[in-house]
Amino acid sequence: MIPKPFHRFLSVLLVPLVSGCTFQGAPSFPIVGAYFPAWMVCGLTGIAVALILRVIFLLTGIDTLLSFRLFTYVALGVLSALALWVFVFGPG
Amino acid sequence: MQHVRISGKKPLGILIAVTCIGAATLLGVVVAHKSNKYPSSDSASIDAELVHVASTVGGRLIDLRVHVNQHVHKGDVLYRLDPEPYLLTVRQAEANLELANAEVENQKRLVGVKTANAAVATDQITRAQTNRDLAARTTERLKPLAGKAYIPWQEYDQARVALHNAEVSLAQAHQQSVAADMAVGDLKSSLAAQAASQAALDHARYELRQTTVIAPTDGYVTSLQVKPGEVLAPSQVLFTLIADDAWYVTAPIREINLSSIHAGDCVTVYSMINRHTPLRGHVESIGWGIMSADTTILARALPIVPRQMDWVHVAQRFPVRIQIDDIRPELLRMGATANVEIRYGAACH
Repeated sequence: MIPKPFHRFLSVLLVPLVSGCTFQGAPSFPIVGAYFPAWMVCGLTGIAVALILRVIFLLTGIDTLLSFRLFTYVALGVLSALALWVFVFGPG
Repeated sequence: MQHVRISGKKPLGILIAVTCIGAATLLGVVVAHKSNKYPSSDSASIDAELVHVASTVGGRLIDLRVHVNQHVHKGDVLYRLDPEPYLLTVRQAEANLELANAEVENQKRLVGVKTANAAVATDQITRAQTNRDLAARTTERLKPLAGKAYIPWQEYDQARVALHNAEVSLAQAHQQSVAADMAVGDLKSSLAAQAASQAALDHARYELRQTTVIAPTDGYVTSLQVKPGEVLAPSQVLFTLIADDAWYVTAPIREINLSSIHAGDCVTVYSMINRHTPLRGHVESIGWGIMSADTTILARALPIVPRQMDWVHVAQRFPVRIQIDDIRPELLRMGATANVEIRYGAACH
């Protein structure tokens, strides 16, 4: 489904984030008696990843190389959220 | 005052931005495609078949052999109603059948008597015929003698009267024979009465058997909250039996995804009773109809169509019935929330 080079790129970029996380169980998470869907977890992860990357890039100076920062960070967050779904929750 | 540098001056930054946005878009398309092709639902529920346990006859509950939440096997006695009224009915029906049997015997004897009477009447015809023939011959012999005055005319007249009497007797004997034949009759009415009594007895015995209620299937007793002594009407449900020989999951799936679901497709089911254990199932069927809220068609009236101008329509969902293949009783309770992953998931590799 995903083109090979692109797949490799994604793996290199994101698998460290989710590897070792052998996901077992239903894609719904009970929190104080309510079930939260997996896609919500993906979304929150995406937001967190974007924020963390922003901090890392600021500290390492990579941020200065970037332009269209808002779009870049949003795209990185979306990428990580979708990758989490693909590799952990999705049909694989 | 520091100038914010214009992005256009950094080709590497633009390249990174374009790459990231392009990758995100591409992956988004891939994810949308996959989630359409491999539908899932997190609002499914565990389902099973039910039997509302009742007896076809009424009466007082005298013996309750099960308690709520108990597991029963097919053929177990669940409860018994007071059989006495039905025993009495059986005895009454037995007596009625005896009566009908006796009536048949009686009727047989009566038919025998009437058959004998008919035989007697037939014999009477023979006798009357013989007498008439004798009278006819006598008249025939006396006629020339009377004509030549060898015998008194009176004697000839007497012979003719005797002949006439004998003819009348013969005709009467014929009529009596016909009447006697008709009077013989048959056993039809008493046999029919016997059959009716037999059927009434069989029905009474059936009703007596219905006072003992046995489990129609393996399952769990639910909604039982009465004790012996309760009086039940015919067909009144005492409790509900959840059949546990087959378990299902009913998953609402959007209509746009139905085309990728086929009967027999592998399904991973997670019961939220223990969300870590995947259960294997397969698609059994897809619901053929649901009630539409947009249009209401009442019987004998015009359809009700509300005025509206919706631009965005939420996809309709249809219940997909999934049969669970590996039954784990500790995870299956009717109505429990379930997650299903159709054609993928831990149970479908």
